[in-house]
Amino acid sequence: MSTDRDRIDAYLPLRPVEFNILLSLATGERHGYGIIQEIEARDSSAVPDVGNLYRALARMVESGLIEAGQTADPRDERRNYYRITNRGLRVAKAEAQRLQTLLRAARIGGLLEKKAT
Amino acid sequence: MTDEQLLSVSERWFRLLLRLYPSDFREELGFEVVETYRNRVRGILNRSGARGVAWLCLSALAHSVWNGFGEYLRPAASWRRAGDWGRDFELVRRRLVRSPVFVAATLSTLAVGLGAVAVVYTAVDKVLIERMAYRDPDNLYFVWRDQSASGGLKRDWLAGPHVADLQNTQGAIETAVGMQLSVPTLSLRPDGEPLQTLMVVTSPNLFDLLGVSPMLGRAFTANETGPGRPAIVVLSNATWKRLGGDPSVIGSQVWLSGSPYTVIGVMGPNFRFVRHSNVGPPQEPDVYVPFGFNLAAQDEQNPNLATYAALIRVRPGTSPERMAETVDAAARAATDRKRQATPVKLFPIRLKDDLVAPVRPILLSLALAGIFFVLVLTVNLSSLLLARAAEREREFAVSRALGANGSAVVRAMVIEGAVLGLIGGVAGAMAGSWGARMLVALAPLDLPRRSEIALDWSAAAVVIAVGLGLGVIAAAFPAAWASRTSIGTLLGTSGIRGAGASQRWRRGIVAAQIALTLMLLSAGGLVTRSLERLLAADPGFKPAGMLTFRVAMDPRLFPKTADAYAFQDRVEAALSALPGVGSASATAALPLTASGPQNSLWAWREKITIPGAPGNTGDPQRDSALVDIVTTRAGYTESMGMRILGGRSFEHSRADNVREALIDQHLAKQFFPTGTPIGASIAFSGKSLRIVGVVKQARLQNLHQDGLPQLFIRAEDWVRYMPVWVVKTAGEPKSLAPAVRRAVREIDARIPVSAVQTMDEIVNDALRQQRISSVLISGFALGALLLVAMGLFGMISGSVVRRRGELAIRVALGASNQRMLWLILGEGVLLVVMGMLIAIPGVYAAGRLIRGLLIEVSPWDPLTLAAVTFSLLFVTMAACYVPARRVLRIDPSPLLRQS
Repeated sequence: MSTDRDRIDAYLPLRPVEFNILLSLATGERHGYGIIQEIEARDSSAVPDVGNLYRALARMVESGLIEAGQTADPRDERRNYYRITNRGLRVAKAEAQRLQTLLRAARIGGLLEKKAT
Repeated sequence: MTDEQLLSVSERWFRLLLRLYPSDFREELGFEVVETYRNRVRGILNRSGARGVAWLCLSALAHSVWNGFGEYLRPAASWRRAGDWGRDFELVRRRLVRSPVFVAATLSTLAVGLGAVAVVYTAVDKVLIERMAYRDPDNLYFVWRDQSASGGLKRDWLAGPHVADLQNTQGAIETAVGMQLSVPTLSLRPDGEPLQTLMVVTSPNLFDLLGVSPMLGRAFTANETGPGRPAIVVLSNATWKRLGGDPSVIGSQVWLSGSPYTVIGVMGPNFRFVRHSNVGPPQEPDVYVPFGFNLAAQDEQNPNLATYAALIRVRPGTSPERMAETVDAAARAATDRKRQATPVKLFPIRLKDDLVAPVRPILLSLALAGIFFVLVLTVNLSSLLLARAAEREREFAVSRALGANGSAVVRAMVIEGAVLGLIGGVAGAMAGSWGARMLVALAPLDLPRRSEIALDWSAAAVVIAVGLGLGVIAAAFPAAWASRTSIGTLLGTSGIRGAGASQRWRRGIVAAQIALTLMLLSAGGLVTRSLERLLAADPGFKPAGMLTFRVAMDPRLFPKTADAYAFQDRVEAALSALPGVGSASATAALPLTASGPQNSLWAWREKITIPGAPGNTGDPQRDSALVDIVTTRAGYTESMGMRILGGRSFEHSRADNVREALIDQHLAKQFFPTGTPIGASIAFSGKSLRIVGVVKQARLQNLHQDGLPQLFIRAEDWVRYMPVWVVKTAGEPKSLAPAVRRAVREIDARIPVSAVQTMDEIVNDALRQQRISSVLISGFALGALLLVAMGLFGMISGSVVRRRGELAIRVALGASNQRMLWLILGEGVLLVVMGMLIAIPGVYAAGRLIRGLLIEVSPWDPLTLAAVTFSLLFVTMAACYVPARRVLRIDPSPLLRQS
């Protein structure tokens, strides 16, 4: 199983835009614009440029973190929707884990207020 | 504008931006990207109105430029992904072996280009960079005294007690030494043939401070100083060799100006100590002797005894502030001790900075020229590889269509570039080692340390690494292009015009090459132009036909003043009697070498006033002038060919009770804006001088600009020992040297003649830096010009071949020869003009960067820039015209029948 673990680690750290995409796709499949809207609702400062978004999407489809599918809507058959894959989910979780470790270190280092748990 | 209009305008904008992306990305995702942008615009319009949309459009432009570029290069970056390396290498090897002409052409270009880089790297490394083979040279600092507050030198020598203060100061200073220069004669026997030497008299721990030890024997110990110290000496390696290079020299006696000293050590050949002078270029000593007196006991009020340079080693890790504090503390100690009105001001300068500062502009300019040249080489190789890749367009397209993966194509091409670059680098290193030898043999330049110029391993390694990097980078662009070739694009473009996408890349590459070359050419042109200015400069004297040499008059040989003058008179008479000699005279400060070792002890700077001069303002600070003191014998101004602007020069006969002086045009202008200076009195060193004439300054330090004002005084009034003689002859001055030596030896065999140089040699020496940079930078620029011409030639001839179908139709339809020629030439002209436009900011930046190297030439000198632009235009047009003429030989009938 350790080899699988290594494969996941090879994706880390994710670029912010990639992590954001995985986060918004974790709750369901979306169009490109849907992803932007979802990110904007969460944190408007993190909204990527459209070109940036599509570059990342293409890259992530290639590396198997997400997959693209045709929409059922007959009006625009050229539009793709995107769905997170199993591997994408695991990578997103691993990234969240990594960020949490960093946060903990930052708290211990006194950079952040300690929160009562 | 209504929202609907805004929406359609912005949509068009986004479609336009899509063109920045590679076509496959555009085809696959373009529709979605624009659609998503539209949705964004709608959303933003509702929330923040037109301003938000404008902001989106702008940021989309920036992102598209960046993303488009990244997307183009993505496949080139993916070559790292694992593959079958062995097979790739085998394929590359086979492909290269199959095209020997291409390989030979590429490798010879690289060998010549990288060889030139290697030679320049070596020359700069060996000639311009001072070797500092000391322990932690970064912790070594010179300490100078700043006297500018009282109108003195910005960088003056220290008095003995100041050095002692530095030695006693606790804190950041680990050790401190004082140094003083002297110019004794050196001989192996008391009556032996004397050699002129430069001696450093120093604190005994100089070598410990530098962290070096002698090759033979030992260095001084801490107690070998002060009045009772033994007479011991350490020789430099060069001096030891001059004395015969015998290892048994340790323990033997040598005579320094007639006194016996025991040799205790000989420094190694790699030890070079550069004793920085406070007024001029650094000097390298021949012998080292410890102080025979106590530094702290010296009279620090007497400015004549303040002749020490201080060198300190600070503790590792000392901050600059901490060190400044410590040096200040020493200065305060000196001020407090004597309760002086003006505080003593000391300041440290890092040894490295102090010595490298003068050559920094040339190093920077040469490095930049080298980088640009390597860039041009890279671009050239890139364009060759692209042309080669374009020939295989069909193969790429078919293999991709059959399922070959893009990164395999990329990997193969990058390996090809790397292999070529690596072999080119090795060939370049070899060519460089021959080139360096050739440079030494031909010696087209008056190069110092010529014998040391040889390619070493470090330079070879650098060149090979540059070759490898260059190959990989050059291959990245064609690789990116090749990996995108598909049947679709092939079919789309292989119609009758036949211009593939490769052509667009290639045009970009050639334009970039032209831009780089123009920058190099303008830099080379500007540096050459300032060399021209220097050559045309009037330094205030006429160097032609003049021989100069040093005659060291040991004070011990002339206990009485009258003896010294009698000796000088006899020398002058003997020299004047030599056949072909027009006149002979002597000075303490020879132009352009004023701070050289031969006279730093006799030429000095001092403040003077001229009481009662019409130019005086009443402000004592402004009514004094710091001047260079030039002591000369009679007839000096005539021998040097200086211009007398008023009055007369020093004559052989003189009144006994009058001390005569000449002033230069600057002093005349400052003190005598009205009236005549002739007859006025100067207050100088507590005595009074009478001005008898005004001369035009003979420049002491720089060829191209006047230094401090100059005051000429008579040897008879002030100095017994005139070290430098000048002889004016009608013939070849160098041929006079043996006669001069014989003449002096006949008068007194104990007195050596040394440093025999023509004035022309001295002037050339002053031009050295400018000349080297001019030759090297221009060499790079011409090399780049050649590469550009080759690139254009290849592109145009390729274009003629590829477009022959289209051209044949045009000919068949009756296009005139002229029209056909223009059709092809236009392509080249467009590229050249584009490249030149791109280069404008680069030329501006290059001009700014080399400004330190330019003398009396503006970095934007219109004449130079116009000249290099036209020469580039001319060469590139010629490179286009030759292949373009082939278009006239196209015979349409067979070609048309074929298709």
